[in-house]
Amino acid sequence: MKLVPAIVPDGEPGSDTGANSHATGVGCSCQTGPVTPHRPDSDSADRGSGAATGGPVLGISRLQWADAWAGLKAIAPLMPGSAAFGLAFGALVPVAGINPWTGLYASVSVVAGASQISVVESVRAGAPAVIAVVTALIINARFALYSAALGPVFSAFPRRWKLGLAHIMTDQAAVVALQHADRYPDPVRRRWFVLGGALPFVTVWIVGTLVGVVAGPIIPDSWQIGFIVPLMFVAVMVPTLRRSEDVVALGITAVVVVASRGLPYGLNVMVGIISGIVAGTAWAEWADARRRARGMPPESLADAAEHEAEGGL
Amino acid sequence: MRVFLIFTVVAVGTYLVRVSGIALLSNPEKLSPRVRRALGLVAPTAMGAIIVNSLFLDEDGWREFGAWHLGAAVAIAVALWKRSSGWAMSLGAAAFALLLLAGM
Repeated sequence: MKLVPAIVPDGEPGSDTGANSHATGVGCSCQTGPVTPHRPDSDSADRGSGAATGGPVLGISRLQWADAWAGLKAIAPLMPGSAAFGLAFGALVPVAGINPWTGLYASVSVVAGASQISVVESVRAGAPAVIAVVTALIINARFALYSAALGPVFSAFPRRWKLGLAHIMTDQAAVVALQHADRYPDPVRRRWFVLGGALPFVTVWIVGTLVGVVAGPIIPDSWQIGFIVPLMFVAVMVPTLRRSEDVVALGITAVVVVASRGLPYGLNVMVGIISGIVAGTAWAEWADARRRARGMPPESLADAAEHEAEGGL
Repeated sequence: MRVFLIFTVVAVGTYLVRVSGIALLSNPEKLSPRVRRALGLVAPTAMGAIIVNSLFLDEDGWREFGAWHLGAAVAIAVALWKRSSGWAMSLGAAAFALLLLAGM
């Protein structure tokens, strides 16, 4: 699916520039969804839809509540995975001898499960802090791709919204935002839709972690709860493996992780990831050159971000 | 305290990555194709590395063949067949539980 995100000239929401340009459709490729004339904006303003009847609730208009609810419904099918993964991470925290509050703090502050687990594994391996940090940040470098794709989608949002939403942009929230951006050309409605999906998703993740932290010590060792880590990643990643470069990168990663198992501090994971990325990129460029030679277009950034988000955590 | 600080640095770094494009990049196509490709491969390689590391390696060397490998094999087969995370997770967990009950 190729997304053409709506580009709305920058400006504070509700400023004449932003809303008027939106109302006239300037720079917006999406013609579906309501296009409302500008009124002095606040999130409590009724933005002119028949769907918004009655007064604001908690200072927020009913239409914005409806948009947030739509965001929640869009991301709801992905929430069990978030809860289960949060639970798995939380259960690992006491096993690794990490303070439960620190584990909970990680889920609130980092909001990225794979990297949080990599930190736990590094700690268990006795790795220096710098290795734990660098490995986690390499894993989280994927967010740069979502961020780049979301730039135009968020361009008309006020700065405080951009800064706030950035923190809760999980893989899943990012892809939902990208997929539905065209349906919400109005930047105010769009930001409430995005918030309505992202915030509950992160909340579920945090609650899952809390339950895992509490239940972790109760779970008997014989249950081997650690199996949930590879199981979760298999379940998330394998269904998305379609591109040849993914398979090449994965194969190289697996071989290097095993071959470099003697490296100290769990460095084999980082070395494996980097090797896989380098090999996969080289393969993709070669495949791209072949596609071009056949007259086929290369993959767009939005396509790449969506594919990435299919398997993200 | 050390782990707390590690998570704090990771949190700050991750936030900066997350906000980079949203705040600064109005035209994402400025990202070079090579960087785009590389970023697109982070998720499968990171997850693959963690899978292989936890599935095949233990603290002292190779993990003994048993329920972990067979449970993961079931999950992979179901994931490829159904193309569904939910099915892979459920049946993989069920297979693992049965294998543990069987004494593996």
